[in-house]
Amino acid sequence: KSPGFNASYSMGRLHIEHMGGERVFSCANCDCPLTNRQQLISTRFTGATGRAFLFNRVVNLDTSELQDRVMLTGRHMVRDVSCRKCKTKLGWVYEFATEESQQYKEGKIILERALINESEGFPDPVKD
Amino acid sequence: MENGSGCLNGSGAADSAEKAQQQQQCPAVQLSERNREAVRVIGQYLRELGLARSAEALVLEAGCPLESGAAAQFRSSVLLGDWDGAEASLASLRRALWRESSWSEIAFRLAEQRYLELLESGAHIAALCVLRGKLTPLQLSPDRLHRLSGLIMCSGPEELRQLSGWSGAAGGTRQALLDSVEQFFPPSVMLPPKRLSVLLDQAVRAQVSRCRHHNTSLSPDQLTLLADHSCQAAASVPSVCSQVLDAHQDEVHVCQFSPNGRFLATGGRDCVAIVWLVEAAANPPGAPRVRHHLTLRIGEERGGVAWLAWSPDSRLLLACAAEEATEVIVWEAETGDCIKKLKHRDEDSLTTAAWLPDSNHFVVGGNRGHFYLCSVDVGFEKAWDFIRVVALATRREDDGGTAVLAADTFARIRRYRFDTMQDETLFREDGPVMSMSISQDETLLAVCVASAGVHLWDLRLRVCRRRLHGLTHGAYLLHASIGGPNQDFVASGSHDARVCVWHRGCQAGDGAQQHLLPDKLSGHGGLVSCVSWNPRHHGMLASASDDCTVRIWLPASLAAAAQAASADGTGPGGAGFSSNGCCSSTVSKHQPPPLL
Repeated sequence: KSPGFNASYSMGRLHIEHMGGERVFSCANCDCPLTNRQQLISTRFTGATGRAFLFNRVVNLDTSELQDRVMLTGRHMVRDVSCRKCKTKLGWVYEFATEESQQYKEGKIILERALINESEGFPDPVKD
Repeated sequence: MENGSGCLNGSGAADSAEKAQQQQQCPAVQLSERNREAVRVIGQYLRELGLARSAEALVLEAGCPLESGAAAQFRSSVLLGDWDGAEASLASLRRALWRESSWSEIAFRLAEQRYLELLESGAHIAALCVLRGKLTPLQLSPDRLHRLSGLIMCSGPEELRQLSGWSGAAGGTRQALLDSVEQFFPPSVMLPPKRLSVLLDQAVRAQVSRCRHHNTSLSPDQLTLLADHSCQAAASVPSVCSQVLDAHQDEVHVCQFSPNGRFLATGGRDCVAIVWLVEAAANPPGAPRVRHHLTLRIGEERGGVAWLAWSPDSRLLLACAAEEATEVIVWEAETGDCIKKLKHRDEDSLTTAAWLPDSNHFVVGGNRGHFYLCSVDVGFEKAWDFIRVVALATRREDDGGTAVLAADTFARIRRYRFDTMQDETLFREDGPVMSMSISQDETLLAVCVASAGVHLWDLRLRVCRRRLHGLTHGAYLLHASIGGPNQDFVASGSHDARVCVWHRGCQAGDGAQQHLLPDKLSGHGGLVSCVSWNPRHHGMLASASDDCTVRIWLPASLAAAAQAASADGTGPGGAGFSSNGCCSSTVSKHQPPPLL
């Protein structure tokens, strides 16, 4: 029994969002929903574990502090992202690209293919 | 022409002589313009109360008459029924009018009163003379003339009064005539009727609209003038923690009072739902305390209690478990018997639920897309496909059926009818929805939106009535609750370990920003996730927190009584109450404070 401020890693019930979509990507470790196929921009990226995907928008992520990284494509300012539920590191988000040709990545998220699952969702509701 | 000051030169020579004499008699008190106006208004008030001598004495001493000499003459003539005198005074006042054209209207009303009085007293010939000689030449609206001439056929005063809607010479109509005529003259000539009463009423209404905790049903003219009105927070708004319930072994995530206010259910990560009894102490009356009743287990393999829902008849309690929950459990609250364990499919995730009014059917759902109608008798009944449910509520509809309100992951709040299989989007939120709570009278919906606060939606008009700010945002789920006798209070949890309580604000016109800021109740040691108002004891609020406790909050006056009556040792923890914005320190009751 622990009265007073609870220091365990999860407090309260996390608010988990869900983006819907017919093909849903979720965390391979805890199955927390992250994003879907509609948000996928490119599959031609590489991360620490191999293949990585670039997504437009991903939910349920925690971000790290800003890091200065030199990559194959140039120098970027990135933050590591991890699953909000199980804290597993999943990839990174581009915050700033020094080279103009790379600026399209700003604000987009890289998730490593080996760390996420793809599963069946269902059709999104029609706009009404 | 008239000058702006209250001292208007009278029209007759007699007046000015009298005035000069008066001014010689009393020492001149120099009054500013505002003071003169105040004296005139007070004098009118005294006169209306019937304190004519005081009014005269006031006029004498202050040296400023209430109105011009001609106006005073007019007034006294009308009240005495001296119609010719009244006409003469009116003639001399003619040039003082706002608009020349209103003169004929006033003359008409004067003659009309004269005509009706003559008819009432039976002097038909004289009345006819007035009709022909005074009313007709004015050439005002022929309808009114026609109606008046029709009244001559009345057989007696009773019928006359009935047909015309005029209450007779003795029925205050002369005063009413004066009141209606006053609007045509500028205030320097004739004061608007009941001016001081109007000003006082405006002041009280302004105080009422600024009252942070206004919850009285008294009308403005029943409130005291002797102190600025502000409802005693102590009597209606919870501010003191009267009990700390620490039976849980881990974080408490849900707390819900039953609809009849007799039970409190709490649940959290320790996989246990506890039912507490609410006892209102008999002596002194109205000091509710909470006592442990039952501990109900939902099993260790589930991630803790995610949601608790009471059936409308307060007999059954339903518990949903966290994320991987495939089963919901229904107990009978009084005995603790497990009535039903409902499971449909192994891949289900049912994390939220709501009961239908028959206390037999309920809806369950979760964000993996499962949305079912079930019942205690039969079990699973119907599914609605492809809806990722975040929160549920039910509402009775005009045709007798029940609509299920569901918030989904696309931030839509939609209405579903499981009997007709019709659905409709009611409104869309502009951020992700965390939870939803409906008021007891089913007119308001409180929606907790992530990083935005609590939005109050009117379910009949389908508009957002209020956006409540001031709570601390974060990554964890928060729940809100609407309570109070008129659904005036909204409470919610917050990430800064404090409970937020808003008063919805009283009548329209309360642009005062301070109404939107909540009162914050401190005392918890961790994130406060859920709050619940007691539907029967209106000031009683329960809050569930990550510090493994549930706290009961009461208004200060009730809490003092509860403390005195408490037998066991669960005394209140340190209670903090800070209100945002200026808090009026004066307090008003129905009776004026005693004279010292």
